[in-house]
This record gives sequence, C-alpha cells and structure tokens, in this order.
Amino acid sequence: MRGFWPVYRRELFAFFVTPLAWALIVVFLVVQGMHFFLLVDHFSRSADAGMGDETPLSAFFGNTVLLYLVLFVLVPPMTMRLFAEERRSGTIETLMTAPVSSPAVVLAKYAAALTTYVAMWLPTVLYLVILGRTGALDWRAASSAYLGVLLVGAAYLSLGLCASALTRSQFLAMVFTALVLLVLFVLGVGEFVTREGTTMHTVCSHVSVWAAMNDFASGVIDSRRLVFYGTLTVLPLYVATRAVEAWRWG
Amino acid sequence: MSHLTRRYGAHVAVDDVSFEVGKGEVVGFLGPNGAGKSTTLRVLAGFLGPTSGTVKVAGHDVVDDSFEARRAVGYMPESVPLYPEMRVVEYLRFRAELKRAPRGKRAAWVDDAMAKAHVLDVAHKRIAHLSRGYRQRVGIADAIVARPPVVVLDEPTAGLDPNQIRETRTLIRELGREHTVVVSTHILSEVEACATRVLLVHKGKLLAQGSIEEVRAMRGATGIEVVVHGDAAAAERALRAVEGVRDAARADPDAGELVRLGARFAEKLGAPERAAAVERCVAALVAAGVGVREVRPAGGSLEDAFAALTHAESESGGEP
Repeated sequence: MRGFWPVYRRELFAFFVTPLAWALIVVFLVVQGMHFFLLVDHFSRSADAGMGDETPLSAFFGNTVLLYLVLFVLVPPMTMRLFAEERRSGTIETLMTAPVSSPAVVLAKYAAALTTYVAMWLPTVLYLVILGRTGALDWRAASSAYLGVLLVGAAYLSLGLCASALTRSQFLAMVFTALVLLVLFVLGVGEFVTREGTTMHTVCSHVSVWAAMNDFASGVIDSRRLVFYGTLTVLPLYVATRAVEAWRWG
Repeated sequence: MSHLTRRYGAHVAVDDVSFEVGKGEVVGFLGPNGAGKSTTLRVLAGFLGPTSGTVKVAGHDVVDDSFEARRAVGYMPESVPLYPEMRVVEYLRFRAELKRAPRGKRAAWVDDAMAKAHVLDVAHKRIAHLSRGYRQRVGIADAIVARPPVVVLDEPTAGLDPNQIRETRTLIRELGREHTVVVSTHILSEVEACATRVLLVHKGKLLAQGSIEEVRAMRGATGIEVVVHGDAAAAERALRAVEGVRDAARADPDAGELVRLGARFAEKLGAPERAAAVERCVAALVAAGVGVREVRPAGGSLEDAFAALTHAESESGGEP
C-alpha cells in the first residue's frame, strides 16, 4: 500500500476544494430533506389508515426510486475526475513515477470517493434521531438500511472509478458511468415486467436496486445481495488497477 | 541503460539505445522533436516499461525493482503537470510524502527544495495562479524534493523567456553538484551551457555521445557566407579555387551591386582547419579584387551537426 495515505488525503482535498462537491452535497441534502418531510407529513396524516408494515424508515430507504435517482445523479460527477483528469492534465505521469503501487493509488482514490459519499449521508442520521424521539424506531432495521446504502454506493462508486480509469475524458467517464447505472436500473425494473419463475425474472430481481433496498430497509440482510454488491465493488476496482498498470505497456 | 527498445504498436520510438551516465554528471540528451527523447526519459523515470532491453537506475532495474528505481529518480515531465488547486508548499509536502521523504525531515527538505528552485516567494500561492516560469521551477523543486541521486528533466526550458532560460540553466548547473542530472533538449547551445556530456539521438537511435568539447567541434561552421561588392563571377571562381572549399554559389542571383555568396567546406575538415579555410577565403576574395563587406560563419545548427554526423558515420562504415 505504498502511497495510499498521501493520495487519499490529496483526493479528499481536491474534492472539497472545488465548488462541485459542495453543490452536490447541498443538492443531495435538499432532496433528502424534502423527501423526509413529505414522508413524515404523509405518515402523520394517515396514522390511523392502517399502513401495514410500512414505516417512515422503510419508506425512506426502500420502495422508492428516489434513492436510486440520487445515486444516479451524484455518483458519475463524483467519480468522473478520479483518473480521467489526471490523465488529461498529465499529472498521472508525476503520480506514477513516484514510488507508489498501482493498487494503492486505485484504492486511495476509491476510499476518498467513498469517504465523501459517507459524509454526504451522515447528516441524514439526524432524521432517524428525530423519528426516534417521536416514536419507536427499529435501530437494527435502520442499521441494515444504512448498510444497504453503503453497499449500493460502494458498488456504484467502484463502477464510476473504473469508467474514469478507462478514458481520458471526464465527460465520457461520466456518461459511461451513468449508462452502466441506467442499465443496472433497467434490469432491476425487469423484475416487475417479467413473469415469475422465468430465468429473466430471477436475474432481474437479483440485480434490482429497488428490491435490494426494500430488503435492507426492512432489516433483511440477504447474503446473496452482499455477494452481488461485493462483486460489483471488487471487480471494477480490479479492472481499474489492471488499466493503470497497462498504461506503462500500452 | 542497455539495448533499450520501446515500441508504440508498430512504431519504434526508441531503437536499441545503450548508454551509461556516471555519478555526478550532467548529461544533455539532445535531439530534434520526435527523436525519442521523452520516451527514453519516461522509461528511465519508470512511467513506461521498456519493450526490450534493460534499464537500471542507481543499480535498480526499472522493471524488476521498479519501486527502488523510482525512488532514486526525481523526474519532471515535459509539460510540467501540477495540481492547479494546491498551493506550492502543499503540493511539495504531498510530493515529499509520496516519495517517502523521512517524516521528521520532510518540512526541512521541502523548504530546502523551494530555496534551491527559487520558489520561496510563491510558496503560499495557488499553482493555478503561477506563471509558466514559476511552474517550471516548482516542477524542478518537485524533482529534487526527496533528494534522489538522479534528477531527470524533460525540456526544462521549453516555453520560457530568455531571462528564465538563463536562470534555469544556472539552476541545472547547480543541481549537478549534488545530483546526477539528465536533461533533454533540442537546443544545442543549451547543452553547451549546462551539460558536461552529450548524447545525440535521432529517430530513436543514439547517434553519438561525447564530451561538451567534442560537441563544440561538431558545432563548428560548415561554411561561410560573404557579402561582396564587385564582380560576382570572379568572387565565385576565387572561392571555388580555395583549398578546403567544396563548392561556392551565389545566394541571391539578382541583388544589385552587393552580392551574397555561400561557400561550403569539405566535411572532413576539423575545427582549426576550418578556421584556416575562412582566412584563405577572405584572402582569395581580396586577391580577386572584390570588396569584402561581410563574412559570417554559416551552418553550425543542430541540423548541420546531425547532417555532418550521419555523413561521418556512413563514411566510416557504421550505421547512420
């Protein structure tokens, strides 16, 4: 892990020194805040209507496209510059001629993006505190919901980083990441349009971020989902590492 | 470095280049654009891998022992890429840590590098706000910040104004006292100004190498240009008859009373013989009764040196 810490710190610095990061965080918190407000409003109006298993918590994280939309908008701009920018400006040359290892550089950049992502979600814990004060809150379900958020985000950021390593252009990296996320989403939607029992349906329901977040938000941690998102995180990171090493010989 | 070859697809950028650089030398890597200078230096710095051949820096192979080899080299790429959003001192501290400068000495080394590269006055400025000259110096500070035994600078004076070029050359000479320095350039006088030894490359091949004196000799004029007043034909005949002159011709056929003539010396002439030939040319012109208004050495450019070298090598039976 030669060079991990300096690169990690520089990436965080580079991210927070630009207005882009703050703009993204503000948009994210405004959207999430409104979402939370609407949910609380909705639940307080229909408190007696018999909502079944639905709680504000499960509705906030699951059974909604909002979480997905937020990731779809946030992840590509967060990851697009990681490698593409360094290659365009040539700083990749000074970076890789320093005594650093390729996996350390890839992981440091990834860890910086993931740290930012976690920092964006941290203020939303306040919502849970508010919910907990006014009623019973299942903290275990809340934890599994956040685990879901972390896993899905980790996988998407990894895909974004990989896209950034494969092209010199930030714009292409962004578009490519968005496309991959879109394909994943569309496959997930397939869960609702395919007939139950078919192979396609099985595949779609495994890929579906909707179904995944529903599970996590209601406190179900399915090992198949862990494996799926784990793979989706590790594989792109591995490809990115190989890409970085390939520049020396390409 | 022995038998280094580097291909980009079918294109051979560096073709079987071998050389050695001794400790404490300042070596000028000289060649026209596209000669393979940058590619060679990138391999030396560990950014590109060699297609074949072996490259060792301070005893460490750049492939098998890449980490130690990269630690031994401070490299500044041609475009001097920096992170624009960082302040100079932040950037250099980051680079020092990345290059594994010892923790306790890092701040001192950064200050020292800034002092040597003369960037102390912009230490707290953002790199985005620096002029080209300062960026270049920050690049040099970066190259030396972790005190590597070898410093590799790719075209360190490209894009600078004459004053800055002079300062940079002085700086490179100063670096030569503590580091082994490899500098690439396409300007012959630059090598003369700061290097102790020269490597000439052309089309990916190492054409020649030698001390700075040998290159000075190569640089000697390959002919003269004269402006005379009077009979042009007589002047031309007189020049042709001079010993050591290969041919002579009018440079501008229809220019009134003053006539410009060019004379080229035979290529095997050494520097002192050429000087003597110049004297003989002037004497012959005066004897022919034409008034000599101007005498200037012609040639002596890098291209002429290359032409002379490739010629000399094919005559002696070697590959050009």
